[in-house]
Amino acid sequence: MKFLKIAQVAILAAAFIPQIAFSAGGAVKPPAQEWGFKGAFGKFDNAAVKRGAQIAIEVCMACHSFKYIQFDSLKQFGYTEAEIVALAESQGRTKKDKMISAMDDVSAQESFGIIPPDLSLMTKARKGYEDFVYGILTGYLSESETGVVDAALEDEKISKAEALELAPILHADATKIEHIKMTLDRISNGDNFNKYFPGQFFAMPMPLSDGAVEYADGTESSLKQMSHDVTTFMAWTAEPTLIERKTLGFKVLLYLVFFTILLYAVKRRIWAKAH
Amino acid sequence: MSKLMEWVDARIPVSDMIKSQATEYPTPKNLNYWWNFGSLALFMLIIMILTGLFLAMHYKPDAKQAFDVVEHIMRDVNYGWLLRYLHANGATFFFIIIYVHIFRGMYYGSYRAPREILWWIGVIIFFLMMGTGFLGYVLPWGQMSYWGAAVITNLITAVPVIGEDLVIWVWGGFSVDDATLNRFYVLHFLLPFVIFALVIVHMWALHAVHSNNPDGIDIVDEKKDTLPFHPYFTIKDLYGIGVLLIIYCWFVFFAPNAFLEPDNYIPANPMQTPAHIVPEWYFLPFYAILRSIDFLGSFSKLAGVIAMVGAILVLFVLPFLDRSPVRSFRYRPLSRSLFWIFVANSIMLGWVGYNPADATAFDGALPLIILGRTGTAIYFGYFVMLFIVTAFKIEKPLPLPKSL
Repeated sequence: MKFLKIAQVAILAAAFIPQIAFSAGGAVKPPAQEWGFKGAFGKFDNAAVKRGAQIAIEVCMACHSFKYIQFDSLKQFGYTEAEIVALAESQGRTKKDKMISAMDDVSAQESFGIIPPDLSLMTKARKGYEDFVYGILTGYLSESETGVVDAALEDEKISKAEALELAPILHADATKIEHIKMTLDRISNGDNFNKYFPGQFFAMPMPLSDGAVEYADGTESSLKQMSHDVTTFMAWTAEPTLIERKTLGFKVLLYLVFFTILLYAVKRRIWAKAH
Repeated sequence: MSKLMEWVDARIPVSDMIKSQATEYPTPKNLNYWWNFGSLALFMLIIMILTGLFLAMHYKPDAKQAFDVVEHIMRDVNYGWLLRYLHANGATFFFIIIYVHIFRGMYYGSYRAPREILWWIGVIIFFLMMGTGFLGYVLPWGQMSYWGAAVITNLITAVPVIGEDLVIWVWGGFSVDDATLNRFYVLHFLLPFVIFALVIVHMWALHAVHSNNPDGIDIVDEKKDTLPFHPYFTIKDLYGIGVLLIIYCWFVFFAPNAFLEPDNYIPANPMQTPAHIVPEWYFLPFYAILRSIDFLGSFSKLAGVIAMVGAILVLFVLPFLDRSPVRSFRYRPLSRSLFWIFVANSIMLGWVGYNPADATAFDGALPLIILGRTGTAIYFGYFVMLFIVTAFKIEKPLPLPKSL
């Protein structure tokens, strides 16, 4: 039993170590969202993935690629053959092609100063995972927030009251007026501000806003709805084998637990002779 | 069947070998569950070699293709995702097991006479495992693969006089590149078999001197103190493997990326350094020791490398530093306290290594570099203190039992 005790303490210690207060500074953590595909029994919501694919093709693929995904593979989410052909054609591709953006690297570099990253693995490739992607898509200034920023920009000075109002919007410290001023200057210069991007400014202009697409299934295309759908789609592109993995995992674990209990029983029985 | 075995045994005595070294091999009856980790480590090595073999059938060590080919394995190869996740998480579990195995040896004095050579072979295996783990982490050719390789190989430049030329030789060029990936792949394929050979020598040495036990005393009466390996320890080891598989498979199937850095799903880009380069978790305490020496100006790098390598090399002299007449720390209260400080300190060093070099704890009150330096001092201090309390008979061991 001493073995168990020590193991317990070690596991507890390992679990708590990362939570000891420490500051490295940097990005604001995007709030956690509900994802149906998480957890041991999570499944992809096919309708959501289908809607997300529509956004990916109509919006994201203007600049980004999903180079590991074939148009044809979207069939499993309820797209018909004709729809797939049409979607591929809208990007100048055929259904057997990978989902590669029509924008070439040279013109991307000219427009944005950077080649937009491939999105296939995006939900696995950033700290915060799906929550980060969702945070980025929804982390631009809303209309009302832009109003507050514009009002503050009307005169050169930023008052204490303005700073207090701006602080939660910019995720800034209200006492650091200089920092707030610098952020506002960059926003007025047309730089892309995002609450959750480390460093708060980056090359991607706001990709989604309310009503950006017209959903084929009639769902209301609010920013939140679209961000959730396209992130779900990206979670699928990042790991198309996710459901297969969990389904198999459940069976494997069930078997292992049963088998290990048997082994333990046999072990007790054999050792009974030794004691 | 028995006729066939007779024929074989007349030419090579297999049955005798199995009887004396496996089924009837006398094993101390008081071994506790910490002794399971040896067989667990062997089990993990076999899993790693098998999954690695099948991964190698699909992988291409080409800087232009490596990243994509890993995704090809994940998506297009039948159960490729399972092979890769078993292999990636297998490395983590292999190291967890090996660390427990080493700590067990340290606690029960398994490195003491007559088991010094057994211990040394183990330390060499551990060292090769670290090399193999590092080489393997480079193969997916993600950002952390690339920059981890860049940071670690750059340490070679700390070697006086020939360092600059040596690193070019290791890289096969003027930076980490295609040539580097190729040779790392070749070595990553080779080393596990070297490890496997050493494991056989490790077991040969073990069977020559026999297992230590929690009391750390010699077997007096083989009949009373030992049990045949089979069925007592075959079943106990199998039970241990069952428990390991449950935990391991839980990670493989439900949290396969828990030990992986998200940055490694970004293709390697020599033009863009990640904000924060971290090695795999199992290197973190040693990484912290490396970075803790930053106060020697231009000698810091070399001194850091020496400290890091020394942290492993010191294990070789451990059998001579420990002068106590008693092996097991069960009967050595002072050594036991030192040991637990050592374990806690190692975990703390790992945490320091995980954080950026300039990070602070407790709202800036405590720069982590201070913790790193203190931890490094405590790490080496363990070996010094162990020598002092035993060589100068400061520790009074408790009375030992007469037999198991």
